[in-house]
Amino acid sequence: MDGFTLVNALGCLLIVSSLMIVLSQTPKKAACIYAIQSLILVSIFITLGVATSSSELFMWSGTAFITKVVLVPAIILLGLKKMGNPNPKLPSLISPVASMVIVAAEIALCFLAVQSITLPTAAEVKPALAISLAHFFIGLTCIVSQRNILKQVFGYCLMENGSHLTLALLAPTAPELVEIGIGTDAIFAVIIMTIVVVRIYHTVHTLDSNELMELKG
Amino acid sequence: MDLSTLVIILMAVPLCACLLMALIPSRAVPRSVFETVHILSIASVCALAVYLVVEVMSSGNSINALGLWFHMDALGSVFVALIGVIGCLTGFYSLAYVRHDADCGNMNSSQIKQYYSFFSLFIFTMLLVALSNNIIMMWAAIEATTLSTAFLVGTYNSKLSLEATWKYVIVCTAGVAFGLYGTVLVYANAADIMPDPTLAAFWTELLPYASQFDGFLIEIAFVFAVIGFGTKAGLFPMHTWLPDAHSEAPSPVSALLSGVLLKCAMLVIIRFYILTIQVDGSFFPQTLMLIVGALSIVVAAFAVYSQDDLKRKLAYSSCENIGVVALCLGFGGPLGVAAALLHCVMHGFTKALMFCISGNILMKYGTRDLKKIKGVLRVAPVTGVLMAIGFIALAGFPPFAMFLSETLTFIAGIVDGYLWLVIIIGLALTVVIAAFVHVITSAVMGDAPKQIKKGDVGPLALVPEIAMVCVILWFGVAIPQPVLNGIESATAIVLQEDTDVLHNAPLFKDLFAATEQAGNQSNADHASTSLEQ
Repeated sequence: MDGFTLVNALGCLLIVSSLMIVLSQTPKKAACIYAIQSLILVSIFITLGVATSSSELFMWSGTAFITKVVLVPAIILLGLKKMGNPNPKLPSLISPVASMVIVAAEIALCFLAVQSITLPTAAEVKPALAISLAHFFIGLTCIVSQRNILKQVFGYCLMENGSHLTLALLAPTAPELVEIGIGTDAIFAVIIMTIVVVRIYHTVHTLDSNELMELKG
Repeated sequence: MDLSTLVIILMAVPLCACLLMALIPSRAVPRSVFETVHILSIASVCALAVYLVVEVMSSGNSINALGLWFHMDALGSVFVALIGVIGCLTGFYSLAYVRHDADCGNMNSSQIKQYYSFFSLFIFTMLLVALSNNIIMMWAAIEATTLSTAFLVGTYNSKLSLEATWKYVIVCTAGVAFGLYGTVLVYANAADIMPDPTLAAFWTELLPYASQFDGFLIEIAFVFAVIGFGTKAGLFPMHTWLPDAHSEAPSPVSALLSGVLLKCAMLVIIRFYILTIQVDGSFFPQTLMLIVGALSIVVAAFAVYSQDDLKRKLAYSSCENIGVVALCLGFGGPLGVAAALLHCVMHGFTKALMFCISGNILMKYGTRDLKKIKGVLRVAPVTGVLMAIGFIALAGFPPFAMFLSETLTFIAGIVDGYLWLVIIIGLALTVVIAAFVHVITSAVMGDAPKQIKKGDVGPLALVPEIAMVCVILWFGVAIPQPVLNGIESATAIVLQEDTDVLHNAPLFKDLFAATEQAGNQSNADHASTSLEQ
């Protein structure tokens, strides 16, 4: 199995983990699965680094490990602790079967979309590229389908992971500074969103997005 | 001191002010200290921004700073000027507004500190958007504007303001993630074709290679950019956060969000628009802008009419006006692009004025509900007059600034063969006019409620508003030649044409030359009068 085949195979694992995040019952479980997913992403970066002889990707895998495997789940878990680990039963707005159908449709559409891309760097990794694009839309599905606002934060994280993977696949030699810029901004976004969630919980005593629907029209 | 250093200082001033205020303990230090730092920050930014913009516009040269990382060209200058001047005026207005909120118990010392710190950070992040030459940093800066304003929108910490903050943060970060994806696609394509991939993130460096880009990839990137940065700009159907955040934020913040931030997001779309036209021709980007622009105007026009909340009405009006900017880009050509940029400036000042006036109304009536706001002219005569002027200006009537940009929009549409669309947009704008006339007749006029104490808000609140009225009247009656020259140079950048070629374009030449001749005539008359004396 060559490096690019392994990248495509690991990409499939990413999709499975994303679906598990969307379907997970609690933010705590979602945080743990997100850490595992980020570990898969790190291994994709390393594999791709070996396959393309890109030293930058090894650096990326280091920063992605710190930011995505450690910091993001830690921030979410810390936020949960600040709220006293609430565990409200908030079912998803979409049934699990419907979620799986939507994700499957997104993957199929993304596979179709990437066929028209003619970049030389994309030739070997089109399945992974399709998965990275699909990953982005699964993140959006997560935001739209969740009632628990803390779980909506994971939707953004999935979208960001999708963009990050696309960047690694299409521009494996991008300078480390570009990757750090994206990663740092995403960390700040997660911190701010978590602070807002904690403030909402302390003021309104809910994590239910349905109870945050007074502003209309 | 060279201009590159001044560009860095321009960005450093609000950032340092923010950090300084964050370090000062809120309880031990009086409010006046925060006010002093705040005023020094916004006044310095205004003075530096105006100086640099004049330098760029008069010399015709752009300024690079920190190597290629920052770039101030005529296009960016239009937005830097908006940030500097409107930031200063709304920042000045904040003094009266925050003092009133503190006196009423709506803000404690910690919230005041948070307000002024994040206000400076907000100015810094917008400057970063306008001056960044690195496309990844451009995205990061737009994301940073969301993060820096989240706590400003949620200043009051009430259920509704937190709800608005959450919607703002989640919709904008998810939306702007689309912008990241579009940016990544452009960067990846540039890194693939440029001889030096390390320069692929710099907008000025990748643009000369536009002809070698993958057309399909750039089309996808443009769609992602329009969705992503269009969410931040408040374009339909990604505008859902805007009425909530604008209505719940303190009024000076709403003024800055609507008057400047939405335009900064449009600037990033314009940068992608330039690239896409160079790669793929004008049909695809213009058609997309035409669709989102027209839909934004029509949908927002009816929302403006149906709202009873003053600030939500103004927020939907911002969606409508951002739609006008997108529509102008959809028309394209010298007239369309000039109209888009001119509308950014004209609407920026007019909407900042209107949100500040909504602050006056909140201070006097304590509500945004238009059913309860009656007889402003009797309760607060100066505010009443300013409010009537503001709504007339926002409706696009002469002699105010927006009349000029909206007329140019209609001309651009008709010249480009979109008479049918111009008629539809004209009808939608008539609905907006009806909505604003209704506010003037019912809220500004009429009998005042008995329980409302008569007397206007203080001069601290009125002075920046009067200044904004003077600007929109000045720009409407006799738009200064340097402003027109700046718009012309910025248009040349968008169209990637030489200013001299653009200056001789049909109709564009006539419109711009007319004011130029008037200006020259006036100067000649002035000179001959001086000689005679």
